Amino acid sequence: MTPVVTLGPLRNAVLGLAAAVLVLALSLFVQRGLSWVTRARSSRRTPHLTRMVYDAAQSVPANVSGLARLGRFDRRLVRSILLGLALDLRGDTGESLTELYRKLGFLKRDLRELGSWRASRRANAAADLGVIHGPEATGKLLQAVHDKDVRVRQAAVWAIGQTGDAATLSGLVRVLGDRNLLVAHRAQEVLAERGREIAGAIVSYAETTASRSGRLAAIQLIGWLRISTAGDLLLRFTSDLDPEVRVKSIKAAAAIGDPRFLETFHAGLEDPSWPVRCQAAKGLSLFGSPPSVPPLAKALRDRQWWVRFYAATALAEIGPAGEAALSAALQEPDPLVRDMARYLLERGRALPVLP
Amino acid sequence: MSAFLASAVAWYTAGILVFFFAINSYYLVLTVAGFWRTMRVFNEVRRPDQRRLLRSPLTPPVSVLAPAFNEEANVVENVRSLLMLDYPLFEVILINDGSKDRTLGRLVDAFDLRQSARSYEHLLPGKPIRGIYDSPTYPNLVVVDKINGGKADALNAGLNLSLYPIFCAIDADSILEPDALLRLVRPFVDAPGVTIAAGGVVRVANGCDIHGGRVHRVRLPRRALPMIQIVEYLRAFLFGRMGWSTGNSLLVISGAFGLFEKKAAVLAGGYATDSVGEDMELVVRMHRHRRERRQPYRIGFVPDPICWTEVPETFRVLRRQRTRWQRGLIDTLVRHRSMIGRPRYGSVGMVSLPGFVVFEMMSPVVELSGYLLIPVLWASGLLNAALAGTFFIVAMMYMVLVSALAVLLEDIAFRRYASVLDLGRLLAGAVLENFGFRQLTVWWRVRAFWEYLRGDLSWGAMERRGVGAGARAT
Repeated sequence: MTPVVTLGPLRNAVLGLAAAVLVLALSLFVQRGLSWVTRARSSRRTPHLTRMVYDAAQSVPANVSGLARLGRFDRRLVRSILLGLALDLRGDTGESLTELYRKLGFLKRDLRELGSWRASRRANAAADLGVIHGPEATGKLLQAVHDKDVRVRQAAVWAIGQTGDAATLSGLVRVLGDRNLLVAHRAQEVLAERGREIAGAIVSYAETTASRSGRLAAIQLIGWLRISTAGDLLLRFTSDLDPEVRVKSIKAAAAIGDPRFLETFHAGLEDPSWPVRCQAAKGLSLFGSPPSVPPLAKALRDRQWWVRFYAATALAEIGPAGEAALSAALQEPDPLVRDMARYLLERGRALPVLP
Repeated sequence: MSAFLASAVAWYTAGILVFFFAINSYYLVLTVAGFWRTMRVFNEVRRPDQRRLLRSPLTPPVSVLAPAFNEEANVVENVRSLLMLDYPLFEVILINDGSKDRTLGRLVDAFDLRQSARSYEHLLPGKPIRGIYDSPTYPNLVVVDKINGGKADALNAGLNLSLYPIFCAIDADSILEPDALLRLVRPFVDAPGVTIAAGGVVRVANGCDIHGGRVHRVRLPRRALPMIQIVEYLRAFLFGRMGWSTGNSLLVISGAFGLFEKKAAVLAGGYATDSVGEDMELVVRMHRHRRERRQPYRIGFVPDPICWTEVPETFRVLRRQRTRWQRGLIDTLVRHRSMIGRPRYGSVGMVSLPGFVVFEMMSPVVELSGYLLIPVLWASGLLNAALAGTFFIVAMMYMVLVSALAVLLEDIAFRRYASVLDLGRLLAGAVLENFGFRQLTVWWRVRAFWEYLRGDLSWGAMERRGVGAGARAT
């Protein structure tokens, strides 16, 4: 019988594997040693270089003669020091840091990196340009918003939020309807911070866009930013055919808190979609008044737990009239209604976030 | 006849050899893929745009669900550590699953709990709730006292009571790093509505300095048994799971630390109360639910949020744990057998489920048959001792290679074990694992088949030394 497995190849495998294990073990210790050396060197150089960066930033105009003569390792450290400082500093100091970054050639390098074939490099460059607030980067960053890699697009959107003026930010509003959810979401996050400067553009986008996801994102932004000029538009949207648009509009309206919305919320309590009823009750918990008690008392009998919960919360928030309605609900035949009324009477105010 | 037998034995031996190479290559590929993905994630999260945006208004609120059964030793410390989490808006729901000790009493005393009339949504059925307790001092703490129904039932009760759209399932005896939740929520912030679950890294707490519910210094345990498990956790649970997540085909999110979209979990039916592998079962069911409806989704694994847990220090407890894991695995794969090899289920049906059947479920059977073959061959005079010995060394070396690679990659990506001596000890653990530990776990995992066939759904008690109690566990 010919053996299927012979000893020779197995012996070779043993030798090969032993060598591989040895190499791995050695590289483990070598890489530990190398990183220790790098860390020690950078912790020795960082205080000195930070002082140099501070001195250069405080001189007018920025004097980079000392920093320009540094070697490669130190230059890399200076760059990371500048980026670390720029992340938290704005105003005159921030501008000095941008100037230093520019004079040392880092800004030019980042702009060049935006054209790199490696997506991670392009993304890092875009993010660094955002940190350093270089206005000359805006054009390239706007191009990077259309990059083929999602990471680059996300970073570019964020960077524009850091560096862009109102005109540039308006360009981001269109990204709310981007097909890629990650990019659209990043634009929404950025505009949640700086959207006030372009409130008109957001409202107009919500009104005119054909993109459903873009409209929903814009309505959300209207609520977060409390853009009161969007009141009429929101009132119109509360009777939209799309229940998601109605939900987001009522939520935004509640955040704005215009008394004109009161009737809309009362009507919302009768909506066929339960998330709309829920948001209407939640809105009334924010600024409901005694006239809201009868519709809320009715909503307390809703079949959906969340609608009952927010209706009861709103009643508890309204004050004595609402509390009286809750006490009356303790006599209801339905145990679910009784339980909710008892809970809110005991707990008083509870406003958790909706799903 | 004897020639036929010899030929059959030779072919079987060759088959086992091929299987050994295949299974170790499988781990090697997973480790490398996991490392590649980890570094990619790390590069991304280091970018300033990523660091800043975690505190955006879009960060969703989270309900932390912690089932507890007879946890009086650590429960107060662990709840305190949960309440100290660095996260914008969250609630902690501790579910006392019919503990027979003073778990509830200690919580009532420590947090000044009062019975509440809290109303909740009856989304999932379960054992009756005896009482719900609120704390006037900690408004985001809720304690639920219910009749014992098992971990899955307790989690379902927590799900019913949770108010937020995302929930984090953890073990009450685990310790989360303060920013773990903030890091784990990243996929949900990036792709809300698409990300339905994300798992975090579970690391071994034995040996670490732990005070006030926080890990202050990461150290290796002195005992060999938990140290070997550290190597195993690195290889299988860190890089292995990271590797699977590359193609959206991750099947296991540890019950000790996972984040889920509540709506998706409820629509999939919540935790299965008749399974001991409820964590894996839920993830597979969520895959199934989404894929059958052709709905886009993502189940991810995030390498940097860390949860510390105590691993067994005695063989008795380890045996219970490993047989339970294996029973859970078998149960899940049997329940969802109709998904295996079906293109409809994409990478889950075509790659990860078949991979789990061959390399996770059946591997102990093949390995044990290899060990059993040795005395049979010896008795029948067919044993080639040199060949068998060399084969054992090859198999062991390959395993050591994969483990050493996992240790190296951990050092490059995380460097949680600061001392060089620790690296040496971890490498020693990678070698030691092959002498006794591996064979024992193989035997226990094979025994789990028998227990599964008998319908054993027991969990078995986990004896803890108390990682959060302040002392340094050895």
